[in-house]
Amino acid sequence: MPDARLLDQMFARIMRSLVDTGRAPHYAELARALDITVPEGRQLLHDVMQAYPIGWLHPDTDYIASFPPLNNLPTQYRVTTRGEQKWFAQCGFEATSVTWLFPGETVRVQAPCLDCGEVMAIEMRDGRLLSREPASLVGHLNWGFGPSRGKPPFL
Amino acid sequence: MNLFRSEDHARRWAQFNPASEEGLGFIRLEDLVDFFGTESRRHMLDPDYLSAWYPRRAAERRAVLERVGKTTPFWMGTPGTP
Repeated sequence: MPDARLLDQMFARIMRSLVDTGRAPHYAELARALDITVPEGRQLLHDVMQAYPIGWLHPDTDYIASFPPLNNLPTQYRVTTRGEQKWFAQCGFEATSVTWLFPGETVRVQAPCLDCGEVMAIEMRDGRLLSREPASLVGHLNWGFGPSRGKPPFL
Repeated sequence: MNLFRSEDHARRWAQFNPASEEGLGFIRLEDLVDFFGTESRRHMLDPDYLSAWYPRRAAERRAVLERVGKTTPFWMGTPGTP
């Protein structure tokens, strides 16, 4: 049974690293930061991902691919804040949650429409929607939340 | 779980699932903001988020979905969907 305190600590470090740098750390870096062995760090990373199953490791690796609302692997949902574009949202839905990681900041998420490639964008601050482009922008759930398991999660 | 310029753009998407039309798979941006702006989301940077806040999300999601009228299995998912 993983230690809940260590799970919290690793989770917080991954999220903080993503927010601060746009990148998720490797388990060996996390292990050092948490003062545990590297093999313990690897196991703890897997435990964290099991406890947070809306994120995932890249298949057949120990590399964090997705840690919502942000993604370590680039997606079409580019996030700009603090004058920099170095983050990616996991999906269009999670894009509306990124605002909570940057309190007091205006967060812009821009993506090409998967139909026509034209730009779409939303701007939010502290959870409040400031603007959208175009006005007709909508969210779409392609497979349903329960039944979507087993389908590519980005759909 | 994508954004589209409009419902028509989603329907023209090459990977559009017709069942999502039957399941009313579209959601207004305002409702999406509510859906992903519940109380637990505001604590994602807290040191105890995983143990204290993440477990609350399933109930929060259900409450928002009920409020915006998306109570079909398509949206509600299976019990315990985080």
